[in-house]
Amino acid sequence: MPKSFDANNPPFDRLTPREVEGLREAVDIGYYRPGEEIVGAEQDCEFLFVVIKGTVEERDGEELIALLGPKDSFDSRAIVQGRSAHAFRARDETLAYMVPKELTLRLIRDNPRFGSFFYLDISRKLEAAARDEDERNTGSLMRTRVRDLFLHPAAFIDAADTIETAGRRMRDVNSNTLLVRDGARVGIVTGMNLSKAVVLHKMPITAAIGPVAHFDVVGIEEEDFVFQALLEMTKSNKRRVAVRRGEQIVGILEDIDLLGFLAGNTQVIAGRIDRARSKADLVVAAREISDQVRVLRRQDVRAEVIAEIVSDLNRRLISKTFALLAPPDLRKRSCLVVMGSEGRSEQTIRTDQDNGLILAGPVDEAMLNGFRADFTAALEEFGFPPCPGNVMVRNPFWSKPLDDFVADFHRWAAAPDENAAMNVAIFYDAAAVSGRVDLLRKAKDALIESMRSEKVYLARFAYAVEAFETPIGLFNNLIATEGALDLKKGGIFPIVHGVRALALEHGLTETSTDDRIRKLGEANVLRAEFSRDLIESFHFLNGLRLDSQLAERAGQGALVKPAALTSAERDLLRDAFKIVKHFKEFLRRHYNFGMFG
Amino acid sequence: MIPRRIKRLFHQMSLGDQSYRFLFEPGPADEVVVFDCETTGLSVAQDDIIAIAAVKVRGNRILASERFEAVARPDAKMNPEAIKVHRLLERDVEAGRRFMQIIPDFLHFVGGRPLVGYYLEFDVAMVDKYVKPLLGIELPNERIEISALYYDRKYGNAPAGTHVDLSFAHILRDLGLPALEQHDALNDAIMTAEMYVALRDLKARGVRISRERD
Repeated sequence: MPKSFDANNPPFDRLTPREVEGLREAVDIGYYRPGEEIVGAEQDCEFLFVVIKGTVEERDGEELIALLGPKDSFDSRAIVQGRSAHAFRARDETLAYMVPKELTLRLIRDNPRFGSFFYLDISRKLEAAARDEDERNTGSLMRTRVRDLFLHPAAFIDAADTIETAGRRMRDVNSNTLLVRDGARVGIVTGMNLSKAVVLHKMPITAAIGPVAHFDVVGIEEEDFVFQALLEMTKSNKRRVAVRRGEQIVGILEDIDLLGFLAGNTQVIAGRIDRARSKADLVVAAREISDQVRVLRRQDVRAEVIAEIVSDLNRRLISKTFALLAPPDLRKRSCLVVMGSEGRSEQTIRTDQDNGLILAGPVDEAMLNGFRADFTAALEEFGFPPCPGNVMVRNPFWSKPLDDFVADFHRWAAAPDENAAMNVAIFYDAAAVSGRVDLLRKAKDALIESMRSEKVYLARFAYAVEAFETPIGLFNNLIATEGALDLKKGGIFPIVHGVRALALEHGLTETSTDDRIRKLGEANVLRAEFSRDLIESFHFLNGLRLDSQLAERAGQGALVKPAALTSAERDLLRDAFKIVKHFKEFLRRHYNFGMFG
Repeated sequence: MIPRRIKRLFHQMSLGDQSYRFLFEPGPADEVVVFDCETTGLSVAQDDIIAIAAVKVRGNRILASERFEAVARPDAKMNPEAIKVHRLLERDVEAGRRFMQIIPDFLHFVGGRPLVGYYLEFDVAMVDKYVKPLLGIELPNERIEISALYYDRKYGNAPAGTHVDLSFAHILRDLGLPALEQHDALNDAIMTAEMYVALRDLKARGVRISRERD
């Protein structure tokens, strides 16, 4: 007899008919109204939820991590690890199956295929990596070795030491796990073990640590590949393994760090950046941010969401670098900004670094110069390529007192050459990353003030959108040049820049192109429907560009061959270019480009 | 017509078997029972119940894990048209108990909770056919009609002459609920329960269903 629970839906398709029957006996259905929290962050989670209808937001603080729809389940990590790192909230009217946690855990234990899904879908990820041809040559997953991952330090304690000593030691080494030496054997003890011993088993904190530790430690070599570590953990059902170099234990690998590397868990990276104590700690995090892009895209995360996630991580990284490198006096008297695509939160693959420093007033020149060089070099070390136009803190032109910036703005407005227009564009997209936000706000106000009423200036500024043809013909045919279409020149740039000109004219303080278009729509500068189309086209072009960048591995990825696209993609691309063309026509009329002709 | 409240008092007095007094006591707060019957046909007088399923709803949670499900052996011969609808063949129901034997369990499951259903009147009339000989009364429970809830949210403020569609499939689609295989008593009860929690919330928030899409 047909029953309500759809067991064809992964991972439930891995269950035996008897297990499915047991599941159907046990599930309830929950209804959640828009905005209602289904699982709170850091809360125990009594159910595995499977969405029947509606949309669920996965949030980390206020940051949106993912949108889940029908057949998606959450939160497998909360089920396996006890509590959920993220909050889950109904975006609209939502119905979800509620599979009791105990039952889910029993199924994970009894059915290895079902369990493997919860151990983060290992097979899928390995398969995907294996399919990815160039992955093997350049290598993230298949080529990364255990020593490249974040490892907790190998901190030892003696089995005769007390629980209290262990607790203090954990705090000192900033790790939740210690190695326990007991004669020839080595064991592991965790913070959770300590808590349980004291709280549940009422052991005094003066008791020896030995009986609390586990001595069935699983070890891997630091030269092992990451996927070997993953398989070892799954096989032995251990959340921590000791990493050896020869006879010596050099660190501890925790599943959460491994999962973070594999699964696009941005939270892990964010936590690592926050905890970093040195530049070396940040180097690992910086590389992981780059790896995230591919991992997230493979999971079909939309390009604009990836850009949002990556921007957030990059800014944390840059902010932390600032905190580590800038003397306290400088930090208190300045505002660090990112500009260009980074300021707009639209950079996914790192193309270059655009950053600057606004000072409240003059500072010690020697100290400033030292910081300028260190900071730019550090970011370069983290894999942010230097900016060809030298828009970097290193360049005194982009790191100086507020008043000097404001003087520049007036000069740029008075003597409009191509460089000036470029500088306006770069600075107008600036977003504050660290330090005194008010300095950037003042600078932006001054910039807007000196430009917005200058109609002719703005028109010349906007005219740059005419620099490149949008490759679509009168009959909606795609016009390839040497077999390729330029997404950036033909589509992305005209949208970004045209929107920027309109935003500047209307004094908007938003920096992302999306938000600017939305605001322009609300202000009736653009028709509501057109602004929606424009945003969608922009997203589509960025998504296509990202895929092409990932396939190409290095470079701009702006060129796509129409022949390499699916017919659906070609259709969407035609639509997107058509919208871009309409937008350019709108700008032409709005700014009367005819006068430059 | 006698108002339901008076009828209820009358029934309470004339209840044949006092061990069923619980039907008149209020059920647990914020709980209802959604139920659906499959029958041999659409005539209350001549046809019989062959399957019945019910689920409790507590707050916004549909307690599918505490459901009531039973297949009955009909007294009436099955109508071939009805077989097409619910696909329970005669040999499937052969094994079932007579509905008269099922009804006490059903009544204990429902207790004093309000009953929710789609065109509930028919299902209740079918059940009453068995309850009357047993207890001398009709089901006294409060009734909540899904099509009425839907009508209120969708057409409550509609101008005269608006085309009204209260079909089960239409309501399901309109509320964005996935269709389960229909004419299985449990699936129907679960879909009806999903409609109930959704419509009740719309009502609580004062949200109307757009008529634009129709």
